Amino acid sequence: MDPIRKLALFEQNVMPHLPAAYNLARWLTRNDHDAEDLVQEAYLRAFRSFETFQGVDGRAWLLAVVRNTCLTWLRKKGLHPTEEFDERAHSAAEQSTDAESLLLNQAALGSLNDCLEALPLEFREVIVLRELEELSYKEISDIARVPVGTVMSRLARGRKRLQQCLAGALR
Amino acid sequence: MNCETARLLMENNDPALAQHLLSCPSCVIRTRARYYEPPPDLEGRIRQSLRRENSTPAPWRWLAIAAAVLLAASLAWNIALLRSRTIATQLVAANVLSAHLRSLAGTHLLDVPSSDQHTVKPWFNGKLDFSPAVKDLEGFPLLGGRLEYLDGHPAAALVYGRRQHIINLFIWPSATPIAEASETRKGYNLQSWSGNGMVFWAVSDLNQAELRQFVSLYERN
Repeated sequence: MDPIRKLALFEQNVMPHLPAAYNLARWLTRNDHDAEDLVQEAYLRAFRSFETFQGVDGRAWLLAVVRNTCLTWLRKKGLHPTEEFDERAHSAAEQSTDAESLLLNQAALGSLNDCLEALPLEFREVIVLRELEELSYKEISDIARVPVGTVMSRLARGRKRLQQCLAGALR
Repeated sequence: MNCETARLLMENNDPALAQHLLSCPSCVIRTRARYYEPPPDLEGRIRQSLRRENSTPAPWRWLAIAAAVLLAASLAWNIALLRSRTIATQLVAANVLSAHLRSLAGTHLLDVPSSDQHTVKPWFNGKLDFSPAVKDLEGFPLLGGRLEYLDGHPAAALVYGRRQHIINLFIWPSATPIAEASETRKGYNLQSWSGNGMVFWAVSDLNQAELRQFVSLYERN
């Protein structure tokens, strides 16, 4: 591809999604400075592999690159243990708390961001992609490289954990 | 109730909201979770780094450039080497011709006048650190031998005759072989070749065809 045309196409299709890219990186890294660096790195990576972009949805494509860049970095820093989150062990604890009985109020909502930030990465990423970016289950499954069913169960469990966290913040 | 309604209720601090939020954590997140805005200068920095990236050649292009530079350098080196070799050969040819002319101009053509190879060959013993091959050649009578100094080496000069023509055959040892060549200088014909660690130069006013015949006879015997 002609370099000038490639840059123009890239800026047209991918550049507008910078807010989404930054928001995802910021939620994954939980840190402004690292989010900035990683978004910049992700943009370079995306540009280098722009030939693989099929021209469907620049946002989902870019977010996949951002997500991979962030996870690689987190793993390298040892901040994201590679072993899978033990879902059964945690689900037992989840059921023991009756989240439904929680009366949410404005005070609880104040700690929402802290609670979301405290969620394990695999829940946090699907929640950000679903609730903040409003991507489809299929798009999230492509980005997170897990089956759609896993996306849905992680979303459900993530939401529940969030409720529990908010309940804890109220007590 | 959808999230948009929930957002409106929330903005108005409506108590119905709490009821809805109980059943919809998704709405809480959508309406209350922070959406981080990129710092204002980030886009500019990204655009800048993309422009830089676009103007730097790809890695394979760097390789190609490096290869081209190497090729050019090795070509230049080889041409320089070839030229210096050619110049060196030219210098030797000039010296060989001078030696031939000197031998004809004065009285010093032969140190050992003899048509007998078994007299000429032993004469070089002790005068040279090598033993030149002295050969009887049909149609080119051996006239004798002489000591010379050529290309920084003591050299053997074997003198042969052909009718009224004199042929000087210069021989000296050399570690670097030379390519077989013939040339004409100032009306004299020169032929050079190497073999068995020796360099040979034949020079004469004899025509080129007969000189070539002389050389091939010497080489064959």
